Amino acid sequence: MRYEYTVETEDLAKYYYMGKYVVKALDGVNLKVRRGEYVSIMGPSGSGKTTLFNMIGGLDRPTRGKVYIDEVDISKLDAYELAWLRARKIGYIFQTFNLIPVLTALENVMLPMIFVGTPREQRIKKATELLTIVGLGDRLHHKPGELSGGQQQRVAIARALANDPAIVLADEPTGNLDLQTGLEIINLLRTLNKEKGVTIVTATHDLKMIDVSDRIVYLRDGKIERIETRAEVTVEL
Amino acid sequence: MSKSKVGTWEIGEIRFPFSEAFKLSLESIRKRFVRAAITTAAVVLGIAFLNSLMMMAAIQSVYTTGTAGAGIQTYQYWLLFISLLVCAVGITNSMLIAVAERYKEIGTLKCLGALDRHVLILFLNESIIMGGIGGILGYIAGLVAAVIYGYITLGGKGVDPFSVIMRAMLTPSTIIPITMPTVVALLVVSLVLSVLLSMAATLYPAYIGAKLNPAEALRYEV
Repeated sequence: MRYEYTVETEDLAKYYYMGKYVVKALDGVNLKVRRGEYVSIMGPSGSGKTTLFNMIGGLDRPTRGKVYIDEVDISKLDAYELAWLRARKIGYIFQTFNLIPVLTALENVMLPMIFVGTPREQRIKKATELLTIVGLGDRLHHKPGELSGGQQQRVAIARALANDPAIVLADEPTGNLDLQTGLEIINLLRTLNKEKGVTIVTATHDLKMIDVSDRIVYLRDGKIERIETRAEVTVEL
Repeated sequence: MSKSKVGTWEIGEIRFPFSEAFKLSLESIRKRFVRAAITTAAVVLGIAFLNSLMMMAAIQSVYTTGTAGAGIQTYQYWLLFISLLVCAVGITNSMLIAVAERYKEIGTLKCLGALDRHVLILFLNESIIMGGIGGILGYIAGLVAAVIYGYITLGGKGVDPFSVIMRAMLTPSTIIPITMPTVVALLVVSLVLSVLLSMAATLYPAYIGAKLNPAEALRYEV
């Protein structure tokens, strides 16, 4: 099944109630992401990037509005179906890498495949392949503590791709990395996007991300301020 | 294999085979070995107390009446109950910390597809492992204590302490419905009790971990 739009949000809103104050983390966001697109969500901290990331990723429920992933409204899913969505449809990459510290790189990448029931032989093969693609073919049996930040993020990218998700969500993937390593990670994401057709949505305020994104969505106070395609940005510069 | 259909999706099965969960639990214990050891020590002490009390009573009884049966005073059961309760509270406390320390890990597991019950199973596995090890060590420690007690109290009373202790160990026990030698019965009781105790004490912390909303769990900074 081919879907034209991988992600679609419709008047998406998330309010947090703090006593009598209402914090509108997201307030009416309409966004469409095409299959194979590389979209960056930019905005100052507190603009709602992470909230949007959580909503699209099925990690939290919106106050109002809808999120469609591959044309299914995910607010209608029950806990089991949400777990399946997270395992199968979405790959997550975090600022803090979030690898399981007691497992090796290979085991970390194999973990999502365990949840969907991939046979062991296939798991090992796929995880080895993915780690080789991200440049860690010689680090399969190292634990996260024995890897540098950049290497850990590479493992996380391999893990995000383990179940061939419809979309990879990356929340500040370069936030904990130095300039050079961050650039390498960005280029890796771009390469995967180009060569494997992986749809990528990143929440970031790393300006290096602009060069590789097909579109940049600027978020401010929970609303989309403007959307630029890469051509426009290049002209502006 | 599809479980249900939502729109154009075929929702497949989500699983976490026991062998994988057990391996992850075991690795987590190894990683936090010192705290796991302290938690286990609580079980060891409780179970050792139970065994020494039972065994000492049996030795005393065999020495005075020639049979098992004369036994433990009511207040001693109270002591036993309180000691096991203290032990359970200690485990709960320790597991609450273990869960809080791993909010992020729990959030990550849920992002990868883990269900609530998978998280629950992870922590319960840990409690079973620690309870089981604690039960066996407590059993051994309790018996050793009782044997030392036997040698000290029976020494110089004109009996062979060794034969009295052996008889006490082998007399059929009345603590469980199926009659078996006291040493065996105590092992069974120790293991069942330590594992159940440990699991019961972990249930609440594990439940908190399992019910975590992944977005919140990921936001949490240790």
